[in-house]
Amino acid sequence: MENNAQHEGNHGGQGEKLKTSVYFCRCGSNIASRLNENAALLKIECQRDVSKVKAVNLLCSEEGKEFLKNDIMEDRPDRVVIAACSPREHELTFRGVLRDADMNPYLMQMANIREQAVWVTEDIDEATEKAVRLVRAAVSRVQKHEPLEEHEIEVCPDVLIIGAGPAGMKAALSIAQSGRKAVLVEKTPVVGGMPVLYEEIFPNLECGPCMLEPMMDEILHGEYSSNIELLTLSEVDELLGFYGNFVARIRKTPRYVDMDKCIGCAECFEPCPVQVRNTFNFGLDVKKAISFPFLGALPNAPYIDSRKCLRFIGEECTMCRESCPIEGAIAYEQEEEMIERKVGAVLVAVGADLYDPTNIPNLGYGKALGVYTSMEFERLLSSNGPTEGKIKNMGGSPPSSVCIVHCAGSLDENHKEYCSGICCQTAFKFNHMIESQLPGTRIIHLYKELVIPGKDDFSLHHEAKDNPNAEFVRYEDIRDINIYTPGEQENVQVDYRDASGREGSFMADMVVLCMALTPPAGSEELALKLGIPLDSSGFFEELHGRLDSVQSKVKGVYLAGTCRSPMDIQKALDQSMASAGYILSGLVVGRKLEVKPTVAEVDADRCGGCRICVSVCPFKAVEIDGETGKSSVNAVLCQGCGTCVAACPSGAIKGNHFTREEILAEIIGGLR
Amino acid sequence: MSEKPKLAMYWASSCGGCEIALVNIHEMILDVDAVFDFMFCPCLLDTKIKDIKALEDKAITLTLFNGAIRTTENEEMAHLLRRKSEVLVAFGSCAHEGCIPGLANLHRSEDFLESIYVDNPTIDNPESTYPLPECDMPEGTLSLPEFYDRVSTLAQVTDVDYFIPGCPPEPHQVRAVLQAVMSGEDLPPRGSVLGAGSAIVCEECARVKADKKITRLYRTYEIQPDTEACLLEQGILCMGVATRSGCGAPCLEANMPCTGCYGTPEGSMDQGARMSAALGSIIEVDGKGLSEDELARRFNKILDHIPDYAGLFYKYSMSSSIMKARRK
Ligand SMILES: Cc1cc2nc3c(=O)[nH]c(=O)nc-3n(C[C@H](O)[C@H](O)[C@H](O)COP(=O)(O)OP(=O)(O)OC[C@H]3O[C@@H](n4cnc5c(N)ncnc54)[C@H](O)[C@@H]3O)c2cc1C
Repeated sequence: MENNAQHEGNHGGQGEKLKTSVYFCRCGSNIASRLNENAALLKIECQRDVSKVKAVNLLCSEEGKEFLKNDIMEDRPDRVVIAACSPREHELTFRGVLRDADMNPYLMQMANIREQAVWVTEDIDEATEKAVRLVRAAVSRVQKHEPLEEHEIEVCPDVLIIGAGPAGMKAALSIAQSGRKAVLVEKTPVVGGMPVLYEEIFPNLECGPCMLEPMMDEILHGEYSSNIELLTLSEVDELLGFYGNFVARIRKTPRYVDMDKCIGCAECFEPCPVQVRNTFNFGLDVKKAISFPFLGALPNAPYIDSRKCLRFIGEECTMCRESCPIEGAIAYEQEEEMIERKVGAVLVAVGADLYDPTNIPNLGYGKALGVYTSMEFERLLSSNGPTEGKIKNMGGSPPSSVCIVHCAGSLDENHKEYCSGICCQTAFKFNHMIESQLPGTRIIHLYKELVIPGKDDFSLHHEAKDNPNAEFVRYEDIRDINIYTPGEQENVQVDYRDASGREGSFMADMVVLCMALTPPAGSEELALKLGIPLDSSGFFEELHGRLDSVQSKVKGVYLAGTCRSPMDIQKALDQSMASAGYILSGLVVGRKLEVKPTVAEVDADRCGGCRICVSVCPFKAVEIDGETGKSSVNAVLCQGCGTCVAACPSGAIKGNHFTREEILAEIIGGLR
Repeated sequence: MSEKPKLAMYWASSCGGCEIALVNIHEMILDVDAVFDFMFCPCLLDTKIKDIKALEDKAITLTLFNGAIRTTENEEMAHLLRRKSEVLVAFGSCAHEGCIPGLANLHRSEDFLESIYVDNPTIDNPESTYPLPECDMPEGTLSLPEFYDRVSTLAQVTDVDYFIPGCPPEPHQVRAVLQAVMSGEDLPPRGSVLGAGSAIVCEECARVKADKKITRLYRTYEIQPDTEACLLEQGILCMGVATRSGCGAPCLEANMPCTGCYGTPEGSMDQGARMSAALGSIIEVDGKGLSEDELARRFNKILDHIPDYAGLFYKYSMSSSIMKARRK
């Protein structure tokens, strides 16, 4: 109120006339030449509520702004109307001028007489008439304006990162490098995500673990690692609060190995009497109940699988502890912990899963021997995998023919409608690796579409195309492929109908299914906990697919990597850096967060607690008070969209700067 | 004449329920009688209009005016009682917002006369005789009050000091208002609503509320509603979300949806518009991959379950809504 109160006397009281100045911008000749200026000014001048009208050549120019400022300082109007261009272009400019002139910037209204009047007709009289009406609407509206104040709140600059795949790790590092804390929460016992499981990485066929190793090392022991709190075997249980001021509750399940003490010598594995299927190798081999997921896994400390370890199913066994050279490294007494961290922003980088191949039974997965998913095949290729990198059927010999099925479940309205983007490259990577390990192997690619965009991706494709032992068969529908084991045979038969309708059949020793990439298991639950939406395919939904693809719909929650959409590592890292950029520039240490006043506000006396506002808010900005049952809008999260204002059946919610009275006055003014 | 302050109650276009609501304050009616000189109430007392005309202006301390303004007589009485009363209260939904009589604004008055006097299975009127405001007979001219084209609220024809919503107002609220008047405590500023809350019925409804998403609507006979959960969430069109609080939500306690009799909420200008905006916000159609036409079809299928929009959303507030009446 102060600003307005300085103005001589009359401000807002009922019946009192507010001093309202109209500034008419000619916009060079843009506006001036397309309407009858004198007539317009005359009509505006004699409008109800108008105290004065001034025409100016270019109000947004430096001289124009200076003039406006001085004129306002001299005149001290209660309200200002600027008849000029679209508020999208210059509302902020003129608000700034008002502020400089010591007047509350929200006591101004723009009438868009350029885009909405003179630019939509050639007819000078029509343009004049409409311009006058728009000004009248603005004058009528601005009478109802209230002075609004911007304010600031303190923020926490730390960041919660969920998922320690390449995307999560990269962001954690850059946050840490800027001197800020990152809490990196990883569900599994290891960091590195999917790519640590690959022997080679397309397009340049670098060794996966080697490529990621430096990044992982930096996270664990690098210059800035003290700024990163890595929580493995952990998941976010609850996220409260809002941008700048979140509180995350993290459930940390025990590793039963003290990471600070364990030196990773692996002495405990041998004595352990229990064998379990190794989920990191997709059950293709076994490991001990205490072990690393795979050789070279980081952090360099084993974990105990408590579902299988004898101690946890009621038996007394201390074999691992007995064999451990370090006192206290095996820690049976560890318990599940609930950890609470205050953070200002959250990055979701939980990666993806593969589409379940049993959803397409004709592909023979789980029935015919030698049928693998692409991830399983990655493990077969991997020197720390179940076959130590030898391409062979489990227990069998190297294949003389491999069938690679592209687009399995992708581009398919019965399964996943989208293209998974990475499968072509993965298949060509496989083509290369098979050919270099087992030259002369027959490789049959069954594909629906080939997608090879970008400047790097063609070379593996060319190589596959040029491979004389590789064949390409295009199919139209995944149902046209039938993979099965005929009779007692060791290998599989592949029957197919190609895109031109021709039927064919061949025998293969091995089949690799390049399954579609899907949102990770548990993403619905996680989305609910974080209060962010998923899109129609189940991936985490971006604020805007083009302009803001790393922001979620909730302010302060960002997205990176394959949890947002299928993509390769390069794109995942680009996104993680983009998110880090948003976070570093949005939450600056020592700078407060500006809260806009143009948000929705609930009048608690009128709120009946029906919760419709909660249901409709796309930004999760509305909360219900547990005690009173009434709703309130969080001004930091609110984007001022007005959805709740329109939906509130009791009329208890007011959209600041778009109140019912203001809108009604504008309509009435325009129609008068 | 007694020195006691005078109390009057009048019915314009109404059903008589408001008079019952007054008597429904039970024994307190004796206190009212002790404090006031209850001197005019056509439903209960035999005072004549000429007696009222004979009073000095503002001689009546409190007039509870119920009923909407449908005829010239209603309006004349409104002006007369305004003149003679210190405090004029629009009592009950008809006087406040038009209520059921206000729904007549969806039709033309000729249509009513026709279906009442001519096109009606229990009427035998071969010459199509209609009642007329004036009719010359050998004995002289007979007159009837004129039937207006539109039903108005009390405040649309004269100044009203206070409004008491409800169809009819709940006894505890009538009691509270009379108590306040009798005890001489300061009343809220003129123009206020008395005997009601400032929020919506949900505030008083004990049902558990969750986030609202409706995928189909039910009429009350189509479903046995859960007695604990919000009815609207169960797909029953409960007007409670768009209705002023104050009644105490007795219908909801009886497992029936609110029909909206306490009228437009404090913060709103149009009860029906509020309800449709709210409903539009919570009806959910799984639109994944659907064409716009298909989406519209599915929405309409849900909405087809509303048999009578106006009768449902504007049952009590047609006359005071933004549109007020059908246009042509
Ligand atoms: C078979 C195959 C081969 C591929 N080969 C290549 C290649 O050669 N080159 C290339 O560029 N791209 C390749 N890709 C794509 C590559 O895997 C992805 O681009 C990359 O994994 C994306 O990284 P990310 O960090 O987003 O997700 P991920 O690598 O999936 O990491 C996500 C991490 O989040 C963790 N997590 C999941 N849920 C939670 C939770 N709720 N809480 C905490 N943590 C959680 C996971 O355990 C994991 O550690 C391949 C993909 C497939 C399927």
